[in-house]
Amino acid sequence: MKLSENIADWIIREASKCVYCGFCEPVCPTIYPGGHRGYGPRGRVNLAIAIINGARSTEIENAIYTCLLCGACSLVCPAKIDIVNVIRSVKLTISHPRKSS
Amino acid sequence: MKHKIISDLESLLGRDKVISDPTIISLYSREPSGLTSNALAVVFPENTRDVSRLLSYAYRNDIKIYPQGSTTALSGSAIPSADGVVISFERMNRILNVSILDSTIDVEPGVRLGDLNIELTRYGYMFPIDPGSVSITTVGGAINSGAGGLRGARYGTMRDWVLGLTIVLPDEQGSVLRIGCKTTKCRQGYDLVRLIVGSEGTLAIVTEATLKITPLPESTVTALAFFPTLEDFFEAFRDIKSSRVQPMIMEFMDYETTILAKEASNVDINVEGHMFLVSIDCNVEAINRVESWIKDIMTKHNATRIYTAKSLEEAESRGLFTLRRSLFPAQVAMGSKLYPGRRIIVYLEDIAVPPSKLLEAIARIREISKSMGIKVSIGGHVGDGNLHPSTAFPIDDEQAKRRVAEWHNEVGKIALELGGTVSAEHGIGVLKKELLKLEMEKLGSEKALYLMREIKRAFDPKGILNPGKVV
Repeated sequence: MKLSENIADWIIREASKCVYCGFCEPVCPTIYPGGHRGYGPRGRVNLAIAIINGARSTEIENAIYTCLLCGACSLVCPAKIDIVNVIRSVKLTISHPRKSS
Repeated sequence: MKHKIISDLESLLGRDKVISDPTIISLYSREPSGLTSNALAVVFPENTRDVSRLLSYAYRNDIKIYPQGSTTALSGSAIPSADGVVISFERMNRILNVSILDSTIDVEPGVRLGDLNIELTRYGYMFPIDPGSVSITTVGGAINSGAGGLRGARYGTMRDWVLGLTIVLPDEQGSVLRIGCKTTKCRQGYDLVRLIVGSEGTLAIVTEATLKITPLPESTVTALAFFPTLEDFFEAFRDIKSSRVQPMIMEFMDYETTILAKEASNVDINVEGHMFLVSIDCNVEAINRVESWIKDIMTKHNATRIYTAKSLEEAESRGLFTLRRSLFPAQVAMGSKLYPGRRIIVYLEDIAVPPSKLLEAIARIREISKSMGIKVSIGGHVGDGNLHPSTAFPIDDEQAKRRVAEWHNEVGKIALELGGTVSAEHGIGVLKKELLKLEMEKLGSEKALYLMREIKRAFDPKGILNPGKVV
């Protein structure tokens, strides 16, 4: 499967709405067990941008793949980011990377 | 050099407490203020000993250290530099002891204020400092920023609620000190505790705090009213403030902001003017009397619509706090509407004026914003004269950024001209250093800045702790 350009654009557009307030973190069930900010929605949304721009590491992938997609963060996000679908789409991006042209 | 430092940190603290992945580091190098930077590493101490070893190492090797809570600061105080190490306190998040008899709680710096209150509610108690970001703000961050909040007029700010601290100094030994007491009355020479509160991580690292706690109010009457003019709002405000009552909450939002908040929250409240929200705590027997008294005041001053609730539960279920809680989403929405599809920074100001000058302050901020072509949203904790005018700009628009920077200076000057201060509760960081100078000059007290720099030198002789901030 090849991810369409549109999904990458959508991820960037949606994730870029993040104003970094962190209001999403207290409701996230994975941030404390994860041990750093990457395991919370604020971190993951901003990692999503980095991933689309080519960043990869085990730590980044662990942070993204541990998201439970529970959607608690979306309910409290002041910027109304569709966090669940950003993370879902980014998981696809990691598992099905675009072929370089 | 970078690899050597990371390797040293891993040996010192253990590999699982050090992050050197640049993308993860970037998450600790950004603030909601829009400032971004970089760092060598992020470390996660688990106890005071870890912090002591880290500061001793940093002192001996001249490494800059940047302490962070949840990075919700709005003044640049949490931003590191590329050659520095961030200490983040996620893993020091234990509530160590609750003593109802002593009315104290001992906590580590990474505990969030929201979580602290969940724990205290079990005992019928609360920690009353409630910044807008209360759910995520950490105790360490609140101490270092000298946080306030909605209930500031009644309960003050962090400096009124911190009794004692365990701190670590940036010196050869990473000295650990216990300062302050577990009692409200405490005369330990110069008040070092209150020097640390609001010091923005520039003097020492806080690793434990003894905080005062207070009982939850027996009962609370809330009124949400809307006024056709600023003058009407202010007359109602004046009447309440002059009536020998001390409301727990007095919040204001201008009409434009209230409309945005309504859109953001979709709450079933008819918005018909500038919003004024008042909560007064009282005993159960006084509920009806307080409710009718506050209703009368609001009516007398032409409130177009008044909603009241006789308990916090009723106020919550009817959405009386929802508009106020939607202030930040409203400000974000304003930015998104102004610059659709672009990455924006929501810039939140933080001034305080004597409450008697509020009307003038609000009117002048609206006027100056209009004349500068700045779309402004005004909300604030008016009970203590604290206003948070806000605007937004696209992150990639240098011209808009400069215009907002000029506006920020003008708003600060208005506060000073009205006998107020340029920073009520967000701190100085890097964004308000010039305004702090201006404030001290206006007071004819430039020498106070010299004293502050000397205090900084006494605590941190090598200048490695959150350098470049405050003074």
